[in-house]
Amino acid sequence: MRLRAALCATAIFVLVLAACGGEEAGPAGIVRDPAPEMAALSLPDAANANAEFAFKADPGQLLVVYFGYTSCPDVCPTTLADVRSALEDMGDDAQYVDLAMITVDPDRDDGERLTAYVQSFVADSHALRTDDPDELWAVAEPFGAFYEVGTADDGTVEVGHTAFLYGIDDAGLLQLQWAFGTEPEDLRGDFTLLVNRAKENRG
Amino acid sequence: MIRKLAVVGLGMVLMAMTMAACGGDDATPKAEDAWARTSAMMQDAGAVYVTITGGDTADRLVKAQAPTEVAAMTEIHETTMNDEGTMMMGQVPAIEVPAGGTVLLEPGGYHIMLMKLAAPLESGQKFDVVLTFETAGDVTVPVEVREQE
Repeated sequence: MRLRAALCATAIFVLVLAACGGEEAGPAGIVRDPAPEMAALSLPDAANANAEFAFKADPGQLLVVYFGYTSCPDVCPTTLADVRSALEDMGDDAQYVDLAMITVDPDRDDGERLTAYVQSFVADSHALRTDDPDELWAVAEPFGAFYEVGTADDGTVEVGHTAFLYGIDDAGLLQLQWAFGTEPEDLRGDFTLLVNRAKENRG
Repeated sequence: MIRKLAVVGLGMVLMAMTMAACGGDDATPKAEDAWARTSAMMQDAGAVYVTITGGDTADRLVKAQAPTEVAAMTEIHETTMNDEGTMMMGQVPAIEVPAGGTVLLEPGGYHIMLMKLAAPLESGQKFDVVLTFETAGDVTVPVEVREQE
């Protein structure tokens, strides 16, 4: 009992400190702790002649990754439009954020289609796809991403997918993820936080 | 945070307001603020979002139809999320509209899916969607295409 009371008091103390002392509010996104190491993973980038694209931000930058598909009418365009909106609000700092979309529907999303789609939201972003389901899964699993593509009775293709955005730093660590519906202001705040952290680390 | 179907029971207040505004003859649900997002390149499907306010009696939205010059097929869909966080989308037979209640068709919840778009939806473009209610019949709502909510 005494231990629990002590722990409780400590917890309250930490909470009060966090609430009162911090100059910097915590991120709006979900902190991945421990941060998964993604740098060793890669997929071909259809926006760059299928060169392997490693899941690691450029030095001093942030890489934002999304799993989706182009025939998605609701969730994917909403999320990608929110990313675009967040980047627009960042002004010059937006140049330190790179976006990569991975298609979970490579049968219908060829490289050209995926590239045009993702780059219509954010110029110069990456279009990652593979025809090898094992290769796709080997990347998705460490992210914690899940997807399934099936065909309904009437022949329409149905796709289910986790709809998180993932933020990877320049060491290839997956630091934060954002759930569907995260407001663009919150994305902008967290993108800025991670970009500033990356810049500081580089002195 | 998660945008989902919101059925807001505004009840008495809303009823009083609509009665004051429309003189009490308000059996038909109202559909307002309809919009669709500007299509991305290569996007062959779109979604229309709209706010529906129920009339004096409960009704059901059973059909939606966009002009075939806009999309070859129109269906009522719902995006749902399972316990593992996977988002699925599927057709629903109807959307319940409670008497005097408000149903939001919004990103991540119910939406009117435009399938096989004839051409990309362009910002500023306008078209009508006919919503068919089980009891009240057809209600036409103007849709505006724009970048954001």
